Amino acid sequence: MFLEERESTHVYKQQVMFSKEELERRESLCVHEEPAYCNAACPLKLDTKAMVKAVAAGDWAKALQLYEKITPFPHILSAGCEAPCEGKCKLCQLGEGVAIRELERAVVRFGEKIRRGLPRMKKKKTVAIFGSGLFCTFLAGELNKKAYPVTVFCREDSAEEFLSRETAFVPAEGMAASAAVLKGMDIQFRFGSDPADMESLRRDFDIVCCQWGLAEVSDGDNALMYSREKKLVTGQTTGVLDAAFGAKKAALTVDRLAQNLDPSNTRGEEGSVSTRLYTDLSEVPPSRRLIGGEPCTKEQAEAEAARCIQCTCDACVKACAYLQHYRKFPRTLTREIYNNVNIIMGDHMMNKPINACSLCGQCSVVCPNGYDVAEICHIARQTLVTTGKMPLAPHEFALMDMLFSNGEAFLCRPQPGFEKCRYVFFPGCQATAIAPDTVAAAYADLCARLDGGVALMLGCCGAICDWAGRYEMYDEARAFLDAQLEKLGDPIVIAGCPTCKKELSGHGGLKLTGIWDILNEIGLPETARGMEVPAALHDACGARGDEPTQQAIRNLAEAMGCALVDTPYDRDQSPCCGYGGLTQYTNREVAKAMTRKCLERSDLPYISYCMACRDRFAREGRESRHILELVYGTNAGSPPDISQKRYNRLSLKAELLREIWNEETQEVDIGFKIEYTPEVLRLMNDRMILKSDIIGVLQELRKTGEAVLDAETGLCVARARLGNVTFWVKYEEIEDGYRVCGAYSHRMSVIRRQG
Amino acid sequence: MAEKNYYTVDPLGKLMCMKCRVPLEKGKAKFLYLDNGFPVELPVCPRCGFVYVPEELALGKVQAVERALEDK
Repeated sequence: MFLEERESTHVYKQQVMFSKEELERRESLCVHEEPAYCNAACPLKLDTKAMVKAVAAGDWAKALQLYEKITPFPHILSAGCEAPCEGKCKLCQLGEGVAIRELERAVVRFGEKIRRGLPRMKKKKTVAIFGSGLFCTFLAGELNKKAYPVTVFCREDSAEEFLSRETAFVPAEGMAASAAVLKGMDIQFRFGSDPADMESLRRDFDIVCCQWGLAEVSDGDNALMYSREKKLVTGQTTGVLDAAFGAKKAALTVDRLAQNLDPSNTRGEEGSVSTRLYTDLSEVPPSRRLIGGEPCTKEQAEAEAARCIQCTCDACVKACAYLQHYRKFPRTLTREIYNNVNIIMGDHMMNKPINACSLCGQCSVVCPNGYDVAEICHIARQTLVTTGKMPLAPHEFALMDMLFSNGEAFLCRPQPGFEKCRYVFFPGCQATAIAPDTVAAAYADLCARLDGGVALMLGCCGAICDWAGRYEMYDEARAFLDAQLEKLGDPIVIAGCPTCKKELSGHGGLKLTGIWDILNEIGLPETARGMEVPAALHDACGARGDEPTQQAIRNLAEAMGCALVDTPYDRDQSPCCGYGGLTQYTNREVAKAMTRKCLERSDLPYISYCMACRDRFAREGRESRHILELVYGTNAGSPPDISQKRYNRLSLKAELLREIWNEETQEVDIGFKIEYTPEVLRLMNDRMILKSDIIGVLQELRKTGEAVLDAETGLCVARARLGNVTFWVKYEEIEDGYRVCGAYSHRMSVIRRQG
Repeated sequence: MAEKNYYTVDPLGKLMCMKCRVPLEKGKAKFLYLDNGFPVELPVCPRCGFVYVPEELALGKVQAVERALEDK
């Protein structure tokens, strides 16, 4: 039985995963790019988070550079800023927020100024500012920054005097520094003039601004800082921050007017904003401010800045090895996946990430907004299958394994003495492959202690093709299983694996339970023994959202006397071991990282209730037991290789048929002997070559006699095309057979060509 | 125009066809995958036409091209 390879790379079919609107809805769930709370609160849009980070790192020049971006007069602003950011600091919820205002002052005090680039060309439109005070001061600075030729008409007689109005709160050295800044600006001052002469003087200028109250304005608009009636840029402000913000708005209005545009249009986002950011504080200890009151030293400021937790939302990435591997947040990942699926010609660069997700859905639980990357990858896989763009290679081995489980290794029998059964035990394909003795013991126990007959069904629930996005195969597998269940009299399915339970729950009208529920109900068998040492319980990702199952397992473990130790990311938040979603087949590196992520939560032995988890943890060298091994006193031992997994399923089937149903299985005699060197067995496992593939090649060799002798190695090499793969076997002949010394494969077919 | 060859191998006379008992020779072959063809020179039996794909080629260039095509 073979699978059909995708037709051609030249098939140009397209289908979108979902609408653009749906894409945007999904993307908007990710709040990683939302501004930090302090940044959002600042109407001047100071990148507070970055500034505080720079201070913590001792990079005072960078900190000042960030602060100077928002104001031409840092000394004045920092001395009087009301700092709405401080109240929004997330640390306020735990103790005291970061002393941002003090840090700003320290930045202005200690920051070294970096010389900016070349002076810019002056703009053509001229601007006049009448009056003085904070608004006029900031506005002069803002317009100077925008390179307008600015003329200031004020009563005062000097720059110092001009600055001194409304700035009593600024310390003397701050005033001196601000005066130096002002003098360094290319601004024309008409000191000692009477701003009341504005009406006669304004005709010399293109745009006119003035301090609030200088002209009677009836249509003042504080959003624009503009009076259309008087054609005056002005507005009422209260306090330093408001004046600085007002000056920013006014400077933008000047920009619009200078271009003969309506000042109210296309202004962009102004002022403070709301943020949807989420920051997990569960691991943040409460702390108190280290500075305040007295001007602080550099070191004190750096220590205070180091308290900042640099608010960000990375709940998903912190939890998921897959997202960590690709270094992408869900929003970006989704957009790239969406675009990848739409590609008609060319490289699908995101196929690997699409196929590397374990589809476990942990992201949807750890994300405060339930962002479901797994669902996106799953839809992407299905869409690629629909358009014929899904490569078969990454999933073929697993899909063939499923066909094997539901073909050659499949078994469905009612309990002897029953035609129809009340129950059917469905242990799952991994349990039969990894721990056949446990399955046999469990079935015997269920038969002995449950009334009404317990049938047995050894097969695959269809998770494999579901994960691969092969929905047509999934429907076939489902119909196949449903037909088998119908024959048994639609019994209650006792799942041995949480993923099977989850997959089978999609079959409408199926009565379903887990073996863990049955065992809790009928009690443990005599064989049940807990582990003698404390152990970490790893929740199966298949049981996510299934609290009763998670609890039932705990109850079983505790009833056996297991001392379970709590780990982070347990129950619904549990990560996948690397088997789910076929990651184990599509991306070994990511799968390994997932396994390690599971194991980093505890140094203790692990108890799991999914056989794939048990297998992968053991492969990483961790003592790992399936709950049913403890219940039935069995031990599957070292993890089997890929051929052994298939053999285990076949021999379990044969053993059960013989012992329970008195049916002998005809063993197939291939008619020759095969020996494998230990090295080749390791190699075959690594290259996903089964012993059955080797047999296929050698049978072909015996039929055709086609092989090549390599004089250099003394080995012969034979080949056969089995399905979509050409397998090559290096061998030497021995008595009655072959010793296999090497094996490799490729998917390309090779032909001889003429000319 | 000369045909582009994606791979050339020198059989060095060390390979022998077991069926025909003759040394393999450098011959023209073609890899096919997902409706794409790649002309190559490989050790070929001059009599029965058996085309030999050495391990280093299968696991090297062939695999790399397979991967690239699979994501097209």
